[in-house]
Amino acid sequence: MNRRNLLKLSATSAALQMLPGLALAQTGGVFKVGTLCPVTGAGSPYGAGMQQAIRMAVDEINAAGGAGGFKIELFTEDSQTKPDAAVLAAKKLIEINKVQAILGTWASGVTLAVMPLTDAANIIQMNTSGAPAISNLDTKDLVWRYQATNDRFGQAFAEICKKNGYKRPATMAFNNASGLGNTQGFTKAWEAAGGKVVAHVTYEPNRPSYRSELQKILDAKPDVIVTGSYLPDSTIILREWFQSGVPVKWIMPGWAANPDLVKALGNEVCEGLISVDSVSNEKSASYAHFDALYKKATGKPGSTNVYAAMTYDMAIVMALAMEAAGPGATVARINAKIREVGNPGGTAVFTFAKGKALLAKKEKINYEGASSKLDFDQYGDVTPDFGVYVIEKGEFVRRDVVSI
Amino acid sequence: MIQFLNLLINGVIEGLVVALPALAMTLVMGVNRFPNAATGDLMTTGAYTAVIIQTLGVSSLLGATVVAALGTAVISVISYELIFKKLARQPMIASLLAAIGLGFLLRSVISFFAGHDQRTFKVPLVRAWNFDGIRILPSDLNITAAALVCLLLVFLLLYRTSFGRQLRAVSDNPDLARASGIRARSLMIGLWLLVGIISAIGGVLLGMKAVVMPELGWDHLIPAFAAMVLGGIGSPVGAVLGALIMCVAQELSVPLLGPSYKLVLSFGVLALVLLVRPSGLMGRNELVR
Repeated sequence: MNRRNLLKLSATSAALQMLPGLALAQTGGVFKVGTLCPVTGAGSPYGAGMQQAIRMAVDEINAAGGAGGFKIELFTEDSQTKPDAAVLAAKKLIEINKVQAILGTWASGVTLAVMPLTDAANIIQMNTSGAPAISNLDTKDLVWRYQATNDRFGQAFAEICKKNGYKRPATMAFNNASGLGNTQGFTKAWEAAGGKVVAHVTYEPNRPSYRSELQKILDAKPDVIVTGSYLPDSTIILREWFQSGVPVKWIMPGWAANPDLVKALGNEVCEGLISVDSVSNEKSASYAHFDALYKKATGKPGSTNVYAAMTYDMAIVMALAMEAAGPGATVARINAKIREVGNPGGTAVFTFAKGKALLAKKEKINYEGASSKLDFDQYGDVTPDFGVYVIEKGEFVRRDVVSI
Repeated sequence: MIQFLNLLINGVIEGLVVALPALAMTLVMGVNRFPNAATGDLMTTGAYTAVIIQTLGVSSLLGATVVAALGTAVISVISYELIFKKLARQPMIASLLAAIGLGFLLRSVISFFAGHDQRTFKVPLVRAWNFDGIRILPSDLNITAAALVCLLLVFLLLYRTSFGRQLRAVSDNPDLARASGIRARSLMIGLWLLVGIISAIGGVLLGMKAVVMPELGWDHLIPAFAAMVLGGIGSPVGAVLGALIMCVAQELSVPLLGPSYKLVLSFGVLALVLLVRPSGLMGRNELVR
C-alpha cells in the first residue's frame, strides 16, 4: 500500500469512527483511547497492522456491550517512528481529543519521548519497546510494555546456550543501553546457573573495523559468541570473523540478524547463525481468536506481524481492567486493575467476552494474551516467548520456542 | 607476541585507510587555508557511486572505483568553483562553515535517494592466510595495496611534476607564487580534482572494511582531522605518518585499556605531540597562525 492510499484509508476510517462516536456521546459513558502506531517511517512494515489490531479489539469490546459501562472510542495518529512527530501527535491526542490512554508506540525512542507527556496527564501508556530505561522511568506505574526487555532477551540467550550444550560463551556488546542490556542480562542468567563467561568486549559504534575487539574474544577460545548488536556492526564483525576462519557459533538478537544481514554477507557466512526474536503466544486460544480476526481484517496471517498481537492485547487488557474496576471508574482505578486481570491468581480466560462474564460473577480472572501470557512484573513488563531461528542456506528456519 | 603483531597489522591497515582523507584535508588546508569538513561526505559520495555502478552491472570493484573517483572529482571541482572560490577572500571560518553545509547537502541528497539501509560492495569473502597465528586477510592486502599505490601516485605528482612544484609554491607563499607567474585557476582545478579522487578512493576502501551508509564519511572525519593535526597542518607526509601513528597506537592499546578507551589513547598521543611540537610532526610554524 502506498502512502497516499494509506492516508485515504485512515481518513475514511477516521470519518467512520466519528458516527458511532456521536451517537455514543449522547448515552454518556465514552472512554477515549488514542493509538500512536508507526504507520510510516522505520516501523511502517508493522504500524498499519498494529493500528488495525487495536481497532479489531475495540470493535469486539463494543460489540460485547463495552467495558465497565463505557463504550470505547478510538482516535488514531501516526508516530512516523520519529520522537518529534510522536510528541506532537501525543499532545494533540491528550489536549484536543482528551484521550485517557495512548496505545501502540513501537520504537524505544518514541516511547521514551511520549512517556513524560502521558505521565504528566496521568493517563495509561502501552508500548512495544525494548529499552530497559523505560522500566526505571515509569515512576507512576502507568506504562505497560508488551515486548520483552533487552534483559529478558539476555535470559533467553542463556537458555538457548544451555539447550545447545555450549560451555564457553563470550559476549560482545554495542556500547549503548540496549546492547549492554542484552549481554548483561545474558551474563546474569548464565552465571546464576553456574556458568562462566570466558570473555567480554564492549565496542564503540562507527568503527571501520572490529578486528582487534574480535581477536580479544577469539583469544579466549569461546564455543559461542552472544551479541547485543545492531545490523551495521554485526555485518562488519561477522565478515571479519568469517575471513579469520576460526570456528565458533553466534547468537544474535533478531533486529541484528535479519534478512538484510544475509543479503549483505551471503549465505555461506550466515550459515548456522542463531537469531532470537520474540514470538506470539501461538498455542493459546486467544492467539487463534486473534489470528482469525486479523486474517479477516487484513488477509494476512497473524504470524506476519508479531506486534499486532501485542497491540490487540493492549486494548483487551485495558477493557478487562475497566470491567474489573466497575462502572464510572477513574483512569487511576482502571490502571490499578491491570495486573489483577493479566496475572496468575484467577481463572484463565482467552477472550474479552468470557472475561467480562466471569468478572460480572465477581470471579477473579487471568487473561492469557495472544502475544504472550502477559503476567506483568513490578515494572509493568511482560514475559513473551522467544523464537529461535537458525539461518540455513539464507533462510530463517524456526527451530525452537523458548520460554523464560 | 603473535597478538602484538596481529594488532600492529590491524593498526597499519586502518592507518592507511585514514591516511587518504587526512591527505585530502591537508592539501586543502595547505593551499586554500581552511579545514575541508566536506571531505568525509566526498568519501561517502565516492563509496555510494561505486555501489551504484556495481549494482548497474559492473562487477569489477576496481572499475567501479575509477568511475566513482572521476565522478567525485567533478563534484569536488564544482564545489570549489561555486563555493570555496567565492569565499577565498573571507575569513577562514566562512569556508569552514560552507564546507560543513556542503557536507550536510551531500549526505542529505544521498540518504534521500538511497535511504538509510546499509550497502556493501560485491567482493568475494576469502579466508585469511594463517602464519602460525598471525592472520592476514586477502581483502586487507587489497586495501593496503590500493592505499599505497594511491599515496605513491599522489606523492609522485606532488614532488616530481611541475604541477606539484607549483602547488607547493602556492602553499608556501601565494603572493610570491603569483609574482612568479603561476596561474592559480588551472592549479586550483587540478588540486580539487585530486582532492575528489583521493576522497573517493578513501571512501571505497573504508566502505570495503565497514558498511556503506550515508554517515560513513562524516563518522570518520574526526580521526582524519586529528591525523592531519598530528602530522603537521599542510604537510602531506605528515598526514600519512600521523594517521599511521594514531591508528597503530589505538590498536596496540586494546590489550591494556580495552576497546572502549582506545579513542582516548589516540587523542592522548595527539595532545602529547602537540605539547612537544605545537606545529605537529612535520609542520612548519608559519602555517599555524
